[in-house]
Amino acid sequence: MIAPLVELAQRRVDGGADALWRRFERTTVAFEWGRLKSAATTEEAGANLRVRHRGRVGVAGTTAVGGSDVGAQHAAPLLERALASAELGEALELGFPGPPSTSFPTVGTFFDRAANASLDDLIGIGRALLARLEREGCRVNVAIERETTATRVANTAGAGGEYGGTACGVSADVWRIAGDDVLVVSDALEGADLPSDEALAALVASINARLDHALRLVVPPEGALPVVFTPAGLSALMLPVTQALSGKAVLQGISPLGAKVGAQVFDARLSLADDPLRVGRTASRPLDDECVPSRTVCLVERGVVQRFIYDLETAARAKTESTGHGTRGIFGKPVPGYTNIVMNETGAVTNVVGAQHAAPLQLGGGLLGDIPDGLLVDELIGVGQGNVIGGAFSHPVALAYRIERGEITGRVKDAAVAGNAYELWKQVAGFGNDARWTGSRWAPSVRFDGVSVARR
Amino acid sequence: MIDRLTAALARSRADYTEIRVERTWSTAVTFRGRRLDSATASEDQGGFVRALHAGGGWGVASFTSLDRLPAMVARAGDLSRAVPVEPPIRLADVSPHQADALLDLDGDVRGVPIAEKKRLLEAYNGVMLAVSDRIVDTLALYRDEVREYWYVNSQGTILHELRPEITLSGTAVARRDGTIEKGLESIGLRRGWNSVQDKAAGFREVAERAVELLDAPMVKGGTYPVVLDPELAGVFIHEAFGHLSEADFVYENPQAREMMTLGRRFGRPVLTVGDNGAAPGLRGTLPFDDEGTPTQDTTLIKDGILVGRLHSRETAAAMGERPTGNARATSFRHAPIVRMTNTYIAGVPGGGSFEDLIGDVRLGVYACGAFGGQTMLENFSFTAAYGRMIRDGRVAELVKDVVLAGNLFQTLDRIDHIAADFRWNQMGGGCGKAGQYPLPVTEGAPHVRIEEALVGGEVGGVGEA
Repeated sequence: MIAPLVELAQRRVDGGADALWRRFERTTVAFEWGRLKSAATTEEAGANLRVRHRGRVGVAGTTAVGGSDVGAQHAAPLLERALASAELGEALELGFPGPPSTSFPTVGTFFDRAANASLDDLIGIGRALLARLEREGCRVNVAIERETTATRVANTAGAGGEYGGTACGVSADVWRIAGDDVLVVSDALEGADLPSDEALAALVASINARLDHALRLVVPPEGALPVVFTPAGLSALMLPVTQALSGKAVLQGISPLGAKVGAQVFDARLSLADDPLRVGRTASRPLDDECVPSRTVCLVERGVVQRFIYDLETAARAKTESTGHGTRGIFGKPVPGYTNIVMNETGAVTNVVGAQHAAPLQLGGGLLGDIPDGLLVDELIGVGQGNVIGGAFSHPVALAYRIERGEITGRVKDAAVAGNAYELWKQVAGFGNDARWTGSRWAPSVRFDGVSVARR
Repeated sequence: MIDRLTAALARSRADYTEIRVERTWSTAVTFRGRRLDSATASEDQGGFVRALHAGGGWGVASFTSLDRLPAMVARAGDLSRAVPVEPPIRLADVSPHQADALLDLDGDVRGVPIAEKKRLLEAYNGVMLAVSDRIVDTLALYRDEVREYWYVNSQGTILHELRPEITLSGTAVARRDGTIEKGLESIGLRRGWNSVQDKAAGFREVAERAVELLDAPMVKGGTYPVVLDPELAGVFIHEAFGHLSEADFVYENPQAREMMTLGRRFGRPVLTVGDNGAAPGLRGTLPFDDEGTPTQDTTLIKDGILVGRLHSRETAAAMGERPTGNARATSFRHAPIVRMTNTYIAGVPGGGSFEDLIGDVRLGVYACGAFGGQTMLENFSFTAAYGRMIRDGRVAELVKDVVLAGNLFQTLDRIDHIAADFRWNQMGGGCGKAGQYPLPVTEGAPHVRIEEALVGGEVGGVGEA
């Protein structure tokens, strides 16, 4: 347990302490270029301790811990390093939360079926996937990963909790190289439970649909055009918004949304929430990594900015409350981080275990029908580079299709899309009917009109 | 430790077994604006075992509790047996080495109090903040580490190394009304404390440029002759070409193999490219890779022709070529995979200077520094830190938002002039591949001219000015 570590800290520091201990075991099976290539296992444990002493905050982390607890011989040097860190730290009125008035919320994070899956079970999932993805002239990579975790968090104010989790990730990419044309179509599932047969079928259908349309190369369009971003392709438009909604960016004064709480800045059909209580999602948890109970936080409601996410420290600096978004690793200090970002949806619909992908979906989410000439963007190059939070973007396409008279006519290369995310979100031309999880984001395809498309 | 590892090795029943153990001491200091964000010291330790049974795939185990070593050696062997592979995995021969390589620590960072590291960073951060009241925010990072490293394999290689690393970076954010611009300074060395003193000038320069960029126009999108400065040229060759030369991309993919056939012309005779893991004193430099293969200088493109690629023991055996010492892992958490070390475009003796490259350019872009770069196989995108227009053979006004995008094959073929002014760019950051990030690498190049390249701006489309 980490209680002895926190108790040890309590005897030495005058302003409280909190700690996180985490252990995980991961099994990975990899199929490379169509054949089973390796099996790997990882066992890792570590602890992160934060102290407040003489008004200053310090942090230290270590993987030199026992496999089931921190251990007295490891606790003392960890505390010494945290105190040394605190000596340099800036003064901060950091308070640690007491126990919740009721209990922490319950959320399904641990699934026996995933925890108990054998190596052969994982290999079996991979083989089945490989068999369904094989096609003439293509090579397929598949990776299956299963993880079990145990997390314990505690502080000197008497709060503490622990929970176990499971995670299962399945990813596949299909490669086709014809001359100097390299085409890669990939997809991944991630959930706390093993994927259902339906989810695996949807993954295969998703890859195949995008591959079929990609075989034919067409000339890209050009100009200010209607562009549909698939749930995966939407990253370039989501990243500036999520960065700007972080309390950390607001505190630094670099968030364009910093002064916009209560203001209508986006299309009235856009809502965004962060939801740590989704059953079956790997980012879900009953409490955050700083002992704050998890709750669903509405970030944008009908285009109006509602609030930002905070951990304890950014909340203390911003004179507000933590929203339960403290995220910490073994090394370094906690930072505000999202759990599950959910677009335009209130909850019940996707609280189905295994609903990773909805049923096999129409590419474009039903948004293509009335587009005379435009682009469907599935993947861009360079997302996250440069001055993201500023909102302006310009990315070449990695995988995109031309839309002509409402139909996908083929794949385009050598094209780039550009625009400003905040401007584009002001007026959305349509949300698709194909919402799905992409990593820990739930979103449909989205259509914007007047996006700049360049070709060379 | 070596005795402990060789004893564990002796109990392995696999046909090939290797064990790596690492212990890393690191400190990190971060400033945001005038505020110290954090100052932490960490200790990370763990082990890695990889085993191969005849007819089996790789069995891999990594762990943080060293007490688990014997159990993990057995586990790796079991995993290898559990994954039959046909045709079997073979490893190219590498003669066994025993070495105790204690790299020059150049001021052991473990002996320097964290308060002193804070003072150094605070000074560099202060230099950025002092440039102008337009500098509204900064992010300054200091990180050092010393990694003690042990490696043994069942073919008799026994290595013990002490690897230092130190990185410093500064981001200056300039703002006026709604306009935000950034400047980025980055230093990364496989050295110690002494090597990062007296570096204030670079931090001042990037902050000044961030302020200047507030008034700079956005580059007009279109096709131009483009001259890359050595920093961006280095990032370009690493991202756009280097990853394709990693043999794990081609060795089991006949189509990729065809695309990367040795002897294929990749550029004009002016272009020579290589990767040198043995170049003294650089961040990507080490005596051996993480399979115990000595590092070397590998020529990849010579006079425009593809002549080599980067290998692990496995990819070398599969392709009937020689291992090049490029099997690297970011830490004990990962298996070694084919990676670059210090990748370069060679300077051309007699290639002249930067002025010689722009002399006959009527309208072009001088793209400098790198905010980032990404490649999707033959397509790439790079964000330059800033650019300057070239007008009538001279450097003209500052421009911003210079994004270079293109197709690798076309772009390499359009490199028509390479200067003689080669330099290594000793930057921080690192390379990412297959979930392993950041791997310390270095890039080097002279000024390079591309006769025609697409420069992205806000409004796409035709580009003559």
